[in-house]
Amino acid sequence: MNISGIAVSTRPEWVELVVQTLSAIEGVEVHAADVARGKLVVTLEAPTVGAEVEGFKRIRALPHVVAADLVQHYFEDDGEIINALPPGLDALEGVSVPEELKDH
Amino acid sequence: MQLSRREFIKSGIAASTAGVVGLPVSGLAAAAAAELEKDWKWDKAVCRFCGTGCGIQIATHQGRIVATKGDPDAPVNRGLNCIKGYFNGKILYGKDRLTQPLMRMKDGKFDKKGQFVPVTWEQAFDEMERQFRKTYAEKGPNGVAMFGSGQWTIHEGYAMNKLFKAGFRSNNLDPNARNCMASAVAAFYSVFGTDEPAGNYDDIEYTDTMVLWGANMAEMHPILWSRITDRRLAHANCRVVNLTTFRNMSSDIADLEIVFKPNTDLAIQNYIAREIIARDAMNKAFVEKNCVFATGPYDIGYGMRATDKYAYPAEKDTQAKELKVKLDKWEAIGQRRKEGEVVEQKNTADPAKHWMISFEDFRKGVEPYTLDFVAELAKGDPDESLDIFKNKLKQLADLYIDANRKVVSFWTMGFNQHQRGTWVNEQCYMNHLLLGKQSMPGNGAFSLTGQPSACGTAREVGTFSHRLPADRLIPNPQHRAETEGYWKIPAKTLNPKVGSFYAKILRDLEDGSVKWAWVQVNNPWHTHPNANHWIRAAREQDNFIIVSEAYPGISAKVADLILPSAMIFEKWGGYGNAERRTQQWRQQVPPPGQARGDLWQTLEFAKRFKLKDFWGEQKVPGLKAEGFADNTLPDVMAEAKKLGYSPEDSLYKVLFATPDNLKVKWPDAVAKGHDNHIATLLGDGWFPEKAFWIEYQQFGKGKGKDLADFDVYHADKVRGLKWPVVNGKEVAWRFNEQYDPYVTKGAGIEFYGKLFKAIPSGNLDGITDPAPKSLAGKAKIFFRPYAAPAEQPDKNYDLWLCTGRVLEHWHSGTMTRRVPELHRAVPAAVMWIHPADAEARGLKRNDLVWIESRRGKVKVRVETGGRNKMVKGTVYVPFFDEGVFINRVTLDTTCPISKESDYKKCAVKVYKA
Repeated sequence: MNISGIAVSTRPEWVELVVQTLSAIEGVEVHAADVARGKLVVTLEAPTVGAEVEGFKRIRALPHVVAADLVQHYFEDDGEIINALPPGLDALEGVSVPEELKDH
Repeated sequence: MQLSRREFIKSGIAASTAGVVGLPVSGLAAAAAAELEKDWKWDKAVCRFCGTGCGIQIATHQGRIVATKGDPDAPVNRGLNCIKGYFNGKILYGKDRLTQPLMRMKDGKFDKKGQFVPVTWEQAFDEMERQFRKTYAEKGPNGVAMFGSGQWTIHEGYAMNKLFKAGFRSNNLDPNARNCMASAVAAFYSVFGTDEPAGNYDDIEYTDTMVLWGANMAEMHPILWSRITDRRLAHANCRVVNLTTFRNMSSDIADLEIVFKPNTDLAIQNYIAREIIARDAMNKAFVEKNCVFATGPYDIGYGMRATDKYAYPAEKDTQAKELKVKLDKWEAIGQRRKEGEVVEQKNTADPAKHWMISFEDFRKGVEPYTLDFVAELAKGDPDESLDIFKNKLKQLADLYIDANRKVVSFWTMGFNQHQRGTWVNEQCYMNHLLLGKQSMPGNGAFSLTGQPSACGTAREVGTFSHRLPADRLIPNPQHRAETEGYWKIPAKTLNPKVGSFYAKILRDLEDGSVKWAWVQVNNPWHTHPNANHWIRAAREQDNFIIVSEAYPGISAKVADLILPSAMIFEKWGGYGNAERRTQQWRQQVPPPGQARGDLWQTLEFAKRFKLKDFWGEQKVPGLKAEGFADNTLPDVMAEAKKLGYSPEDSLYKVLFATPDNLKVKWPDAVAKGHDNHIATLLGDGWFPEKAFWIEYQQFGKGKGKDLADFDVYHADKVRGLKWPVVNGKEVAWRFNEQYDPYVTKGAGIEFYGKLFKAIPSGNLDGITDPAPKSLAGKAKIFFRPYAAPAEQPDKNYDLWLCTGRVLEHWHSGTMTRRVPELHRAVPAAVMWIHPADAEARGLKRNDLVWIESRRGKVKVRVETGGRNKMVKGTVYVPFFDEGVFINRVTLDTTCPISKESDYKKCAVKVYKA
C-alpha cells in the first residue's frame, strides 16, 4: 500500500475546477483547500507503485495545476520491489563480473 | 479493519501535508494523525542525496522506517522534498541489499579469479590484513590507497583520515569529491586563501539577478530551484540567466538562455571583465582596498599521464596534447602567440603557481576578448544567428554591470568538471570582485556542491591526498605539526609527501604501484571516466580491492572483497552542505543482517595493527621535504615512547580509543532512546561519533572554522548551523564585518583567508621578482585566458558528448534504482540528440545505437525529445545506469591544478547498433 501526501498549487480562480478534476481521479482525495492562496492538500492512494507514479504524473499534468509537490510518503512492505529491480541487478548473480565488463 | 486503518493513514498524511502548506487542520484529521502516528517515533535527519542538504523527518516503527517527510522547520527546504528526497526511506529496503561479507574464493581460499562466497567478518578482516601486510612490506605507505567520499559522514571521514595519515603514514586517501568539488576548492584557495562559499541560500531571496553557469539546477538542485522560481515569479524585476551547452529544464524559467560551445565560458567571462573595464564600471574603491591582480602559467597540459605507455592506440593522439599543444587562433591570442605555434607544456608539474601582476597587465590580458571575438568563438547553437548571440552576451554583461542590481552566480559541475576548472572558478570571482558584488546579502559568486557532505567531510575534514582538517595542507610543516599535536602523535609521524589523487590511485593500480585499495561510500569503477582501463587494472593486475557497499554496484562486482555497509539512517552521522551548514542525525533503525557502519569497519581494521608496524623507518620514494632524509619517513618510536606509547599498542588504542575518547561514554542522554550499533558492537563503553566530534572541533576553533558542540546539533530546535559558529552564533556571510566576527573591526570587507597570501610578482608572461609579497586580507583577481578543449569533434568522432545526472537518480543508481517509483520514472539512461543529427544518421527515437569514442563504446537508446533539447553537434547521456556504462566512453582529462575530471566534453560517433 502506497499513500502520498501532495501539495497542489493552482491559481485561486481555478481551485474549484481543479478540485473537481482531482476528485475524479481514482485513488485521489482532496482533503483541504485554501482558495485565496490556491493551495490544495491531496492524498493519492495506489495499489501498485506503477499506479502511484502514474497518478502523480497525471496530477502534475492536469490543466491549471501549477505545481504538485510531494510532502509525505507512507509505505508498507512492498512485494513489488522484487519485480521492479532493474534487470542485471537482481540478487547475487549480479555480483560476478558480467561478461560486458570483461569486453574491452 | 483494513478500511478504517487506511482512512486513518490517509487523514494523518493529509494533516501533515496541510501543516507544510500552512493550512489549518481539522480536529478530526489531527486526531487521525495522532492515532496513526501514536506508535511511530519521528526524528529529524538529513537527505541522503545532493549537496543542498534538505532536512527531513523520519518515522520509525518496530525497527523499520515507515514514513518520511520534508522537515517544515528546516530553513533549507521548508517542508518540501524533491522526488529523490521523498523516497529516502525506501533506499534501505532493496531486495539485493548486501548483508554479509563476500570474498572471491576457490578451494576454500581467497583467489582473485574465484567466485564470490559469503564469509564471516573475521575471515574478511583476516584476508584484508594479510594482503595489506604483504603490500606494505613490498611497497611501503605509497603502495596502499583509500577511495573516500563526499558521502562519508563527517565522523567516518575523520576516522579514516586519521587511520591512513597518522597510522599507516600514507596520504594515498582521496575522495570522490575530487571529481565533484576540487576545482571549486582550488579556486577558493587561490582567490580567498580559505575554502568554501561566503554566502548562503538566503542570497536567493536577497538578490534580483541569478546567473547559472553550467548548473542545471532544475534537475540537480530542485529544492533550491523551487526557491529561485518562487523569487523569480514574485518579483517582476528579477532576472534568471541560464548559461549552458544545450537547452535544459532550467531554461524553462530563464529570462536569458545562452548556449555556448564547451570551454568558451572562459572567453565569455573575460568578455564581461573587459566590458566592466571598458565601461568604467570597475568598483575602484572595493578593488583597491580588497584585491590584487594575479595570473599563472598557460602551458599546464590536461592532467593526463605524461606517457602514452598505457594508452590504447586510438587514444594516443589525445594523450599527446599532454606534452605539446598546437594553438588555434582563439587560444593563441590569449597567450599573445601565433596561430599554429606548437607550445611545449612545461608547467604540468606546478600548474598552480601564480604571481601578482599590475592592473595594466590585467587589462592587457582581457583586451582581446571583444564582443565580436568572443561571440564568434563561443556561439554554441549553429541554428542561432551571430547577431542574436552577440545581443545575448551584451545583455549578460549589462545584468552584471548594472549598479542597481544585485547578482548571484551559481555553478556546479559545468565549471568544476572542466579542463580549466580552477581557472573558470577564479574568473567568476574575478567579475564579482571587479564589481564589488561579493560577500554581501544577494551579491556573490556561489559555488554549489554536488554531494551531501563534499563540504562537511571531504573539504572540512580534509580527506584529500594533500589536506588535513580545517584548511591545513600536507606540505606545510606548521600544519602537520599542529595536526600531530591535536592527534597526540610524535613529530614527523605524518608523511610530508602529497599522496595520489583519485585519478592517480586508479592509474597507480594500472601500473602496479598501488596494490591494495579500499573503497567506502562511492563507486569508482562506475563513475571514473575512461573506465575500461580501471576495470582491467582491477581484474587483471595483481592487487587486492575491498569495496564497502550497500548494494552490488560495478565497483563491488570488480572487487576481491565486498564488505556490507550500514546505510545513512542505520548509523549516527553528520553532513555539511553547500552553505556551510553542519547537520547531524541519530541512528534510526538497525542495519540488516551482518551489515555494519563504515566507521565500525575502520575501527575494527585498526585493531589489527600495532605502532611498530608503521612508526619505524619507512621508505617513501619521491619524498623530499625539509627536515626529512630523502625518500625516508623517520623512526618515531623513541618519541612515541616519551608520549607513553608502546610499540605493541594497537592503532585502535592510540588513534581512536584514547584515554580522552574513552571518557565520552555510551549510552548518552543525547540519544533519547536511539541505539548506536557501532558503540554496542565495540562494547568498550565509549561513543565514537561524539568522541571524534570533540577531537575534530579542536582543529577549527579560533581558525574561522568553529563548530558547535555535538549535543547542540542534536537539540530539538536546531536544524543545522552554518560555521563558523562563534559564541553560539552562526555566520551568514563570511568576510563581511556586519555578519562575520573574524573580520577586523572597521574593515568592512576583509578576505582573511591565510593560504597563498605571499606570492612573487611579474607580468602576463612570468615572474619578474621572485620575492614573496604579502597580500594579507585581500583576494586575488586572476587573469586566465581561453584554452581549447583537449579533444574536439573531427571527421571521425563528429559529436560532443556531455554526461551528468537526471533528477530521479543519484550518481551510479545503487540506491535510487532500488526504489521502484524512481526506477519506473526513469528506468534506463538514454542519449539525447538533436532530431536533425539523428536523421542524418538514419536514426529515430528509441533506436538502439552505439556511442563510441577513442576509449570505448556502449549501446544506448535514442531520445530526440523530452527534457533536454540538444543543439546540433552535441549529445547528452546520464551516467546513473550501469546498463549504459557511459564512463567507458568518457575522457579522463582533468583540470591540471585541481585534478578534477572533465565529464562534459569529449568527441564521439554514433551509429546504429
